Amino acid sequence: MITAAAICPCPPLLARELTGQADVLPDLRAACATAVARLTAAAPDVIAVAGPDAETARWPANGQLDLAGYAPALPRTGPALPLSLGIGARLLDEAGYQGPRAFHGVGVLSAAAACLRLGGEIAASAPRVALLVMGDGTARRSVSAPGYLDERAAPFDAEVTRAVRDGDLAALAALDAELAAELLAAGRPAWQVLAGALAAAGRAETEILYADAPFGVAYLVASLTPRPRESR
Amino acid sequence: MDDVAAAGQEAQPTRRPGPLRLGGREFPPGRPVVMAIVNRTPDSFYRPGLTWDEAAALDRVHAAVAEGADILDVGGVPAKPGPEVPATEEIRRVVPFIERVRGAYPDLVISADTWRQEAARAMCAAGANLINDTWSAWDPALAETAAEFGAGLVCSHVGPLVPRTRLHRTAYGDVLTDVLARVLALVEQALKAGVDADRIVIDPTHDFGKNTWQSLELTRRLGELTATGWPVLLSASHKDFVGETLGAGLDERLPGTLAATAVGAWLGARIFRAHDVRPTRQAVDMVASIRGERPPARAVRGLA
Repeated sequence: MITAAAICPCPPLLARELTGQADVLPDLRAACATAVARLTAAAPDVIAVAGPDAETARWPANGQLDLAGYAPALPRTGPALPLSLGIGARLLDEAGYQGPRAFHGVGVLSAAAACLRLGGEIAASAPRVALLVMGDGTARRSVSAPGYLDERAAPFDAEVTRAVRDGDLAALAALDAELAAELLAAGRPAWQVLAGALAAAGRAETEILYADAPFGVAYLVASLTPRPRESR
Repeated sequence: MDDVAAAGQEAQPTRRPGPLRLGGREFPPGRPVVMAIVNRTPDSFYRPGLTWDEAAALDRVHAAVAEGADILDVGGVPAKPGPEVPATEEIRRVVPFIERVRGAYPDLVISADTWRQEAARAMCAAGANLINDTWSAWDPALAETAAEFGAGLVCSHVGPLVPRTRLHRTAYGDVLTDVLARVLALVEQALKAGVDADRIVIDPTHDFGKNTWQSLELTRRLGELTATGWPVLLSASHKDFVGETLGAGLDERLPGTLAATAVGAWLGARIFRAHDVRPTRQAVDMVASIRGERPPARAVRGLA
C-alpha cells in the first residue's frame, strides 16, 4: 500500500556539482527536498523510485547517479543508474534516507495499461510503500527551451498539474502518449505508474510544491498523501 | 623540511606541490593567482606614468581588486635603463602608497618589486608580504629580509644582467638548464636564510637576460619549471618577446600576452603578473577549468 508519494523532476542540474559554482534553481531543489522528506517521514518499509528510461526494468538498490556522461571531469560513483532513477537516488541520499530502496525504470514507450499495472505491483510490494515518481513535463515551453516553443506545451503541463492537484487519476491514466512524446514530456509513463499505484489507495491529499519551467522544461514537484481508507 | 629534498646533480630542491602562503592568504595548487602591476614610476615601459599620480594609483588598486587581482605588485623603479633612482627616492615613491593600500585592504597580498634591501625592508615594514626580486638576488640579503618579515620571495633569473641593464648577445647552452640552476640555487639560499618554504616562488623572468627566441623557449618548456613543484610566476605582460613575435607595438600586445599566459597556465604556472587584470583573470580561470581544476561559474546548457 502506498503510504506517501511524491513527484519530482529529474534534470541533471539537480545535481549540485553539475552546475559549477552557481547554485542553480535553489527553490526547485528545496521543493524536492521537502517532498522527499515527507516520504521518509512516513516511515516506509521501502521507498520505490519510478522514472522513465529506455526500457522497463528493475535496477540495483545500491545504484547511484552517474554524472560522468554529462561531466567527464566529475568523479564516478557506484553502479550507475539511468538519469531519472539516479536523480531519485541522489534525492534520497540528500534526505539522509538509509532504508530499503527499489528502482523501477519505466519504458518511455510503455502503454498506459502497462504503467498502471506496474504502479499496482509497486503498491502491493510491501505493507508500507513510499513512492517517488521522477517525471518532467514538456520541454517546449519557450523559444529557448530544448525543444523550442510549442504552443500546446503550456496547456499540457497545466492539465497534468491540475490532475495531480485534484487527484484525478483517470486524467493521468488517459494522458495522450503521442502528444506527450511530441512535447518531450518525459514524465508521462512515470505519472501513469503513480496513477496505478494510488488506484487502490483512494484519493490523496496533494500539495503542489513547485510548478514552473525556468529553462523551458516543465518541472513539477508534488507531495501526495493518500487518505486513510475507511474500514469496511 | 620534509617537503624539500635534494634531487638531481646539483642544488635541485624539488617540492611536493602545496599551498602557497602569502600574507594571511593561502592559495592551493590549481587556484590561479593574478598579480596586478602598479608602477609608482613616471617612466615604466608600458603606459609610462599611468599610475605616477597617487590618486590614479589608488584608483588602479581599487579596479584591480574588483577585477580579481589577488596580489598587488608595487614597484618604484623601472626595469629599463634610465635616470638613477636612489633607494631613498624609491622608498619615497612606494612606501606611503603601500601604507595607504594596506590601510584600505588589510587582507590584500602586496608584493614589493625591488632589488635593494633598504627598499625591501621599508616596503615590508609598510605592509608588503612578498619580495619580487626580479633582478635575481643582485643583493643576496633580500632573502634575509623576507625571512625577517615572514614575507615571501620570488627567485628569478636574469642571466648575466645586473639591475636596469639590457641583454647584449646573451647566449645559453640551454636556457632552461640555466634558469633551473639559478632559480633553484636561489631557493636553497632562501631556505637557508629562513624563508618559509610555503612562501617561495620561482620565476623564469621572461625577457630579462633573454632574447625573444629564448623567452619563447621558456614559455614552451615552462613545464620543466613547474615540474620542480615550486610555484611558478609567469611575467609576460606586454613584454618585448610578445611584441617581436607578433610585430606588435606596445599597445597591441594583449592577445599575445594572453596566449603566453594561457600556455603557461596550461603548463602549470600558478601566479600571473599582469597589467590587464580582468582579461588575465578570465584567461587563467578558463585554463583552470579546462584542466579540470575549477568548476564552471554556472553550467545549465543541456542540463535542464
